[in-house]
Amino acid sequence: MTEIKAPMPGVICDVKVKPGDTVIADQEVLTLEAMKMEMPIASTAAGTVAEIKCGKGDAVQGGDLLVVIK
Amino acid sequence: MNESTTHQSELSRLSRLKARAEMGGGPAAIDKRHQLGKLTARERLDLLFDPDSFVEINELAESQAVDFGMQKKKVPGDGVVIGFGNIDGRLVFAYAQDATVLGGSVGTIHGEKICRIMDEALKVKAPIVGLFDSGGGRLHEGFFASKGVAGMFYRNTAASGIIPQISVMMGPCAGVSVYSPALTDFVVMVEGTSQMVITGPGVIKSVTGEEVTLEELGGARVHSEITGQAHLVAKNDTECLETVRKLLAYLPSNNEETPPVADAVDDDPQRTDDTLETIVPDNFRKAYDMRKVVRRVVDNGNFFELLPRFARNIITGFARLDGITVGIVGNQPIILAGCLDVDSSDKAARFIRFCDAFNIPLINFVDVPGYFPGVKQEHLGIIRHGAKMLYAYSEATVPKITLALRKEYGGAVMAMCCVGMEVDLMLAWPIAKLVVLDTATAVNLIFRKEIQAADDPEAFRQQMIKEYDHKYSNPFHAASNMLVDKVIAPGETRPQLIKALRMLKNKARPKRSRRHGNIPL
Repeated sequence: MTEIKAPMPGVICDVKVKPGDTVIADQEVLTLEAMKMEMPIASTAAGTVAEIKCGKGDAVQGGDLLVVIK
Repeated sequence: MNESTTHQSELSRLSRLKARAEMGGGPAAIDKRHQLGKLTARERLDLLFDPDSFVEINELAESQAVDFGMQKKKVPGDGVVIGFGNIDGRLVFAYAQDATVLGGSVGTIHGEKICRIMDEALKVKAPIVGLFDSGGGRLHEGFFASKGVAGMFYRNTAASGIIPQISVMMGPCAGVSVYSPALTDFVVMVEGTSQMVITGPGVIKSVTGEEVTLEELGGARVHSEITGQAHLVAKNDTECLETVRKLLAYLPSNNEETPPVADAVDDDPQRTDDTLETIVPDNFRKAYDMRKVVRRVVDNGNFFELLPRFARNIITGFARLDGITVGIVGNQPIILAGCLDVDSSDKAARFIRFCDAFNIPLINFVDVPGYFPGVKQEHLGIIRHGAKMLYAYSEATVPKITLALRKEYGGAVMAMCCVGMEVDLMLAWPIAKLVVLDTATAVNLIFRKEIQAADDPEAFRQQMIKEYDHKYSNPFHAASNMLVDKVIAPGETRPQLIKALRMLKNKARPKRSRRHGNIPL
């Protein structure tokens, strides 16, 4: 199981996967807007998206759990 | 001469001794290594060096210790192979620890052998590569071994900045076998089979109660992503040694030489590339991967990245421009918006100092919004760590060329080498904004009272943003003040950088008269 956490505080501006999707390592799963920049949040491992803990427009803190990959 | 001694008799004696040395810890131990996917010390050296070029010396040196059964355990060579040979036809020295002999432990003779080959490398000024596979000092020999251990540290330091030193971690390593690598220029680890720790899981458990495996404590992932100790990681022994050969190809043999120039470059120095305008969005809110920019600009798209998974908000690595080795430092907008922080400052500063020591010109790709804000960064010491970049760039006398791509905001600009820091050529793309703060923040601060007093505050704010942007947030204002030497089209980046490098080829680099500076550590 791989947990993808927010690298810094910001706002989720796009969710690019849904539960059940297969992802590869380094694939963009979310877009986070922070420091006036829209940045890709990539999966750190290959697997299946088990859970998405955030939605578009959510404000998140650094370290918040965003996506679980199994 | 004894009558019974003949050429023939002594040659057979020599071959018996050599065969014994080459057998190391014996066939069973060698088989076991192979089953674990590891090669022996000699097999590794064979892969590292050009075929048949490696010359082993001191292969008959053996432990002089007698206590604790050492007389029976000792093996010619004392668990380390030392020598010299060619890599891509260039002289390189090496030592390789043999973990089949007493765990590759550093006994007195073992340590003396390593020190001896380091001395030789420094004498003739050629790079040295250490293949580490050892748990550290040899306990059977008591305190005697410490002289060799300390001697390695002393020589690593003496050779620093004179010859390139590369440490290759090829097994579980602790003690001297991790601190010596820490003193060298580059550390390469093998995934899964190499670890680096100061105190092992057993000691940690007995002292702090924490339970952790050796791999979790100091495996390749830990050191390439968390500590920044391992510059490169390879999948296995073979790939690892190939990586070392590739790295050496970018480096000069010593601080008095320039790196080898790649011959027959099949990438046109005049090549322009308009795709750079799409790779880098003109919408400053959109991130992009700076490595894509670098690969489009350098020869044949080859960027040899160092520490690719540590402090990813900055990129460092070697590439070539018209065959000439250059050191690339670049902000990475897709990570932390490209902000500088403690780890990225450490990563970049050490790389800059390596390049300066070994005559490698620096090319800086700048798109930096500032330092990463927060209590954590301040308390981790961003002042002290950030200062390392200021120091390293100011100190560096190699050609320094900076390209401003988009954001050149605030204090972080100085940390990326700008005009006041004796940058040799400051280039900027037309969309670049060289400002103290981003426009909106600056306007909010400068016109706080006026915005509040305005009939329509938002309309006034927007008008001021437009005016400020037009006046200051562009490279033309900076160019009019000679803070930018040349505004170039993105597509012209490669030819412009190559022309600048050629112009700076014979740059004078006066030596300062002092023992050494005092970089904030």
